[in-house]
Formats: sequence, structure tokens, C-alpha cells
Amino acid sequence: MEATAVDERRQPWLDALRDALGDALVGHEIAGADIWVRVERTAWRRAAQACRDRLGCDYFCFISGLDWKSDVDLAGEKVWDPAPPVSSGAEAAGDGRYQTGVAGGEDRFQVMARLFSTKEKMGITLKADLDAEDPRIESLVPLFRGADWHERETWEMFGFTFDGHPGLRHIYLPGEFEGYPLRKDFPLLAREVKPWPGLVDVEAMPGEPEGGAEGAEAEGAQAEGEGGEG
Amino acid sequence: MAAVTEYQKAAYIAGQAADARVNIELEAEGMTLNIGPQHPATHGTLRIVVRLDGEQVIWAEPVCGYMHRGYEKLSEVRTYPQITTLVNRIDWLGSFANEVPFILASEKLMGVEAPPRAQWIRTILFEMGRLGNITLFLGEMGVQLGALTPVFYAFRDREHVLNLIEAATGGRFHPNYDRIGGLKEDLPKGWGTEVKGAMTRVRGFCDEMEELLLGNEIFETRSRGIGVIPAAMAAEYGLSGANIRASGVDWDIRRDGDSPLAWKHCDWKVWTHPDGDSFARYWVRLQEVREATRIIDQLLDGLPSGPIQAKVPRIIKVPAGEAWVHTDNPLGEMGYYVVSKGGLGPFRTKIRTPSFSNISILPWLLKGVYVPDVITILSSLYFILGDIDR
Amino acid sequence: MGLADSGRMPKPLTQLLNTARKYSLWIYQWGLACCGLELGAAIGSPRYDVMRLGVIPFPSGARQADLVVIAGTVTDKMAPPIRRLYEQMPDPKYVISMGSCSNCGGPYWDSYSVTKGVDQIIPVDVYVPGCPPRPEALLEGIVLLQQRIQQEDMAARWRGDPIVVGA
Repeated sequence: MEATAVDERRQPWLDALRDALGDALVGHEIAGADIWVRVERTAWRRAAQACRDRLGCDYFCFISGLDWKSDVDLAGEKVWDPAPPVSSGAEAAGDGRYQTGVAGGEDRFQVMARLFSTKEKMGITLKADLDAEDPRIESLVPLFRGADWHERETWEMFGFTFDGHPGLRHIYLPGEFEGYPLRKDFPLLAREVKPWPGLVDVEAMPGEPEGGAEGAEAEGAQAEGEGGEG
Repeated sequence: MAAVTEYQKAAYIAGQAADARVNIELEAEGMTLNIGPQHPATHGTLRIVVRLDGEQVIWAEPVCGYMHRGYEKLSEVRTYPQITTLVNRIDWLGSFANEVPFILASEKLMGVEAPPRAQWIRTILFEMGRLGNITLFLGEMGVQLGALTPVFYAFRDREHVLNLIEAATGGRFHPNYDRIGGLKEDLPKGWGTEVKGAMTRVRGFCDEMEELLLGNEIFETRSRGIGVIPAAMAAEYGLSGANIRASGVDWDIRRDGDSPLAWKHCDWKVWTHPDGDSFARYWVRLQEVREATRIIDQLLDGLPSGPIQAKVPRIIKVPAGEAWVHTDNPLGEMGYYVVSKGGLGPFRTKIRTPSFSNISILPWLLKGVYVPDVITILSSLYFILGDIDR
Repeated sequence: MGLADSGRMPKPLTQLLNTARKYSLWIYQWGLACCGLELGAAIGSPRYDVMRLGVIPFPSGARQADLVVIAGTVTDKMAPPIRRLYEQMPDPKYVISMGSCSNCGGPYWDSYSVTKGVDQIIPVDVYVPGCPPRPEALLEGIVLLQQRIQQEDMAARWRGDPIVVGA
């Protein structure tokens, strides 16, 4: 059965990490032929080192960030928001896979890294919570040189500081860019100024008053149109 | 239209959207050379600042971001079908191959499995995307090294593949054909036979390239031993695809990953080369193109019949969860990390693109290299700007 | 020329010079993104040959080109180089904006880093819509430009008048 097969391959990895990190491993999940491990912020580099030395993860896939803030009031359509709203609440044994971000509180930001072993052909996703006011964490550059650019991009997009990075500077955006684009409270100004014209599903007949009476309702209808074409 | 000789907007533009300032300390010796962002050899808008000591590079820094369009932020305000449309413009030559990992990740979250016919056709189109991408590379690396003829052959023979992708999907290289649960519609009649004819042509093209370039003494001298990347360094930087296979690492996600696509149903080989230099990268890609034609032939022979789309609701809402799916795209390992909260669109999409990591090795790789070899290395690493900059 | 300068170009001479100019455009291809591939197909592919229209690709640099085709997404970071290279072109110069990204921002109309249309930076003569436009569409754009050049009054450009699109 697939579940057992997954466990057989990935459970030893989890055990080895638990052995190496002890209490610093605060959450884990093995599901869908993949493994997630969440560690304490202070154990970030130790965790990556354990992955490299004990699990054999020699391949550096990526580092990025997650911003769990979900109650931002921006004009853009919140298409990721299910309606009706799903109940929030941190899950018990999970590792932040589904977590309603608290506005301004703890655990708004997470950094995630993906490492892979070219020998075992298996990968692992590492996560760590960051402080919302001053998100900073150790840099993985001394362990994996490829982390250099990925950490620069994460700093640029989220504002996370990586201690020990040779030089955090812009990689994608021009030097004078203000703000951190991938944070949830960074608005897409084009959508603020003018809502997406496709929201209106039905054009008014000639002679009828034009207007967005169907605007809000049409979002569902428009989405149905999109799904219907699919 | 106003007369074109006024300069009043120049200062405004320069102030508003300046280039990234690279921290360059002024040194007494060494000339700083700026390659790009508009340069025939950089395949797009990549800028590389190198500091030269005579002909040798002592320091190199690629400056990317000239094609940064903000895909990850745009994905947060779009529904899944809308993102599928957008996403095949990341690696704009590999067309269909960009959509596949995203759709697979969404299907994984939904627990939906596309029917076998759809998976097989997806694989065929994926490999055709590989053909469309790498045939251009084969011709265009010749151009960077001074051989002008191969690129015209490449454009000519790509047309066969692009015509067939257009016949099936409607777009030459932005197909927007993949849907959660399957494909948009079935293939046209007689498509399989036409594709087989095109594969023969592409194989003929590969033979031509082998004769024109691989056996050419100038090509060999200019690429053997240039830009050697040891396997461990390649893995550390995150090089993937043909780049890491040319350094001897036997890793191909099509074979080793647990993909629902149809690669396991046919008989094919993973090509590696022990050298890790530019010649090896060219050689591996040439073999991969040949192998892709064989895969397509086999898949066409055994194509199962059946439905083309699984039963999915009209309005697609993907349940909450996170999923990571990666595939062996023409340029390397491309993956999508999709975070869903149960809505019409994803909460966060992290797009892992291969060229971003491929280019990150340049500051290390270009040290001590001569200027013409810089061009060779750039073209052999093969990146697409949309893939670097997303 | 003194004639153009003083605004007294006789009609037949204008026609002759315009015909000569429209069939000898030197195109500076600025392939930024996906449209650059269709541009490459139009220029380099033997099927959609652009040379049969008299348009010659691959000048040695911007200073020897008279037509620039902006093909692909224009980002805010790329805008100053575009402006700079446009200014390096000598007059009379023409701009074709190819693809919806450079026409109006295209599918990235709401992005934080994309310039919504290259006509915010440089004046555009012909817009070729499409995502990407087929190479034949680009060729039609070039043909339209050639028709426009045929009707042009060279003296107007010299004087600095706004160029009026002919019939």
C-alpha cells in the first residue's frame, strides 16, 4: 500500500532528524509521498546540516517564505479565500500546514526550504516560524552555496533578514523599490485603482442603465464561466 | 504623435526606475565590462557585470530582474485556470511543460487523477515542449560560438513541432491546454501520424547538428574543458536537468520521481556525461532530444483511448493543504509549491524555476575565464530569462 | 538636405524618397520575452522571411537602425535601457510595439514591476496585438508601417511637427 511504502522510506528520515535535533523539531508531517519538518528558529542551520550530513541531502532546491496573514482589506478579489470561511485554529500535531495567520501576532511569517538527495531521490521541506516584527534567521549559505540567491530573493520579497549572508541586496527589483511585494499587505495598485473589468459578467442591454448591480454576484458567475471552460 | 527629439522624460525615467546598483568598489586596475541587458548573447535581458584583468574575468556578477513580472504575487489574485494561462509564459519555449507541475500539484491537493489518455497526451506534449525548447538551444549555441548556419536549421525544424502543438492546442507556444483533471479537448484526427513525420524530421535535424557542430574542430576546441562544473558543486548550487546530468549525476525526475505521467510506460534512457564541461552539456541535450523523439513515438503507438477529463466540478475549489510537485522540464527541475486554503485560487504559489539556480553558479564559474569563453559558458548553461526572473 | 529643412519638398521627390526608405528599413530587434521568439521566427526562419519586405535584420548596433520592434514585457527595471537605446537611434526612426505586454501591459497588467505599455516611455507607430502575435501578424504590422512611411511628409519630421497618420 502506498502509505506504508511512503512511511518506510521517509520515516527513517524523520527519526534521524529527531535524533539529531531533539526538542528543536516542533512539527512534522508525512503525507502524499512527501515529508515536512518544522524546527525552532534557532535550530535552522543545525537542521539543514543534519539533512545534509545525515540524510544525504546534497541538492539545494529553494528557500522561500510564507506569509499567513489573511485578513487584509485590499480591493483585489480574494480568490484564495473559501466562502464560507473555514474555521481557523491551529492544528494539533501539524506543522503549520493550515494555519490562519494572526494579524501582527506570532507565526505570521515562516521561512521554508526544500532540500533533496540525488542519491536517495527524495526531498524534504523544512520550515521555521519567524518573529513578525523582526523576521530574521540564520543563513544557509555556509552549508549550501546555492542559498545565496534564494535568500536574497526571499529578503527582497518578504523582508526576512538572513544572518550570515554575504550581502543581502536586491536581485529582482530596482534599487529604489519600496516595500516587500510578497507580503499580504502589499497591494497590487492596478487592482486597487480599478477593479478587474472581467468581474462584470453581463453587459447591460441598450437602453437599460449600466452598472455594477451584478458586479459582486458576478464574481461567482464569472468564476463559473472560467471553470466551465476548463 | 509628438516629435521624437524631446528629452524631457529622460530624467524622470532615470529617477523612477533605475537599474539595480551593483556594489562595485573602484579599483585601480581591471576594467569593468557590462554585458547586457540588451546583447545578442544573453538570450534576453540578462546583464552580467564582469571585471576584467586583460582578457580574464576576475569577478562576475549577473544582474537579473529585467524580466521580473511578479508571478508569485499575481498568482495570489488569480483563480487556478487563470494561473494556468499565465504560467506557460515562464519558460516561454518549453510551453506545455510549465503548466504540468502546477496542474499536478492542484490535482494532488484535490485528490483527482486524470484519466490515462490525458496523462499520455500530457506526456507527449511535454516532450514536444522539450523539443521546441532544446532544438533552439542546439542551433543557438552554434551562433554564440560563431557558427551561423545551425540556428536557421533550428528555426526551420522547430516549425514542424510548433505547427503540431498548434494543431492540437491552438497556440504555437502558449498552449494553455492543461486543465485540472485532464485536458481541454481531445486531439485532432490524424495528429499522431503527422507527429511521427515530424519526429523523423527532428531526428534528421539532430543528425545534422551532430555533423555540423559536434564533429567540428572549432566547436570542440571552444567548448571542451570550458566551464567545468564538478558534480558536488552542481548539486550545491541547485543545477538541474541536463546541466547536472552533464556533470555525471544520474538523476532524472521523469524516471525517479513518482509522476503520474506516462514516462514509465515506455522504454527510454537517461543520458549522462562525466566531463561537466560545455561540450558535455551540448552533447547531453542532443541525446535528450533524440530520446524525446523516441519517447513520443512509443507513446503514440500505445496511446490509450478513453475520456480526456476526469469528473471535476465546474467551479474548481481546491481543498486546503500544501503540495509540492516537480518535473524534469527542458531547462531543469521546475516545481510548484502550492498552498491552498480551499478557495478558487491558491493562497501562495512558490515557483521554483531551474534557470534561477543555473545562473547562480556564474559568479563562481566565471572566475578566471577568458571573455569569449564567458559566452560559451552562458550559452551552454542555457537559461530562459522568463525562467530566471519569473 | 536643404529642401527638407526649409519645408519645400516637391511631391515626386518625397514619394521617391519615401519609397526608398520604406523598402530599406534596418530593424533593431529587441526581443525581450516570448514575443521575441516570434520575432526571431519572423526574422530568422525561412518560412516567415522578413527580408522579402526589404527589412534587414541584425544591424551592428542601435545607431545604425531605423526600426525597433519592442517584443515582450517591459518591466520598470528595463525601461531606462529601452529609453537609452531608443535615443541612440538616429532620426527618422520608427517603433513597432509587438505583443500585448508592450502594448498595454498584457496579462501582467496588475503586476508591481511591469510598465503598462512601452508607449509610456517611447512613442509607438504600430501596435501589433497578440500573445504572442504570429509572425505573419508582425509582418502585417511592418507592411502597415511601410504604408505609413509612404504617406509621410519628411519635412514635417524635420520641423518637429506632430506626425499625422495618412489615409
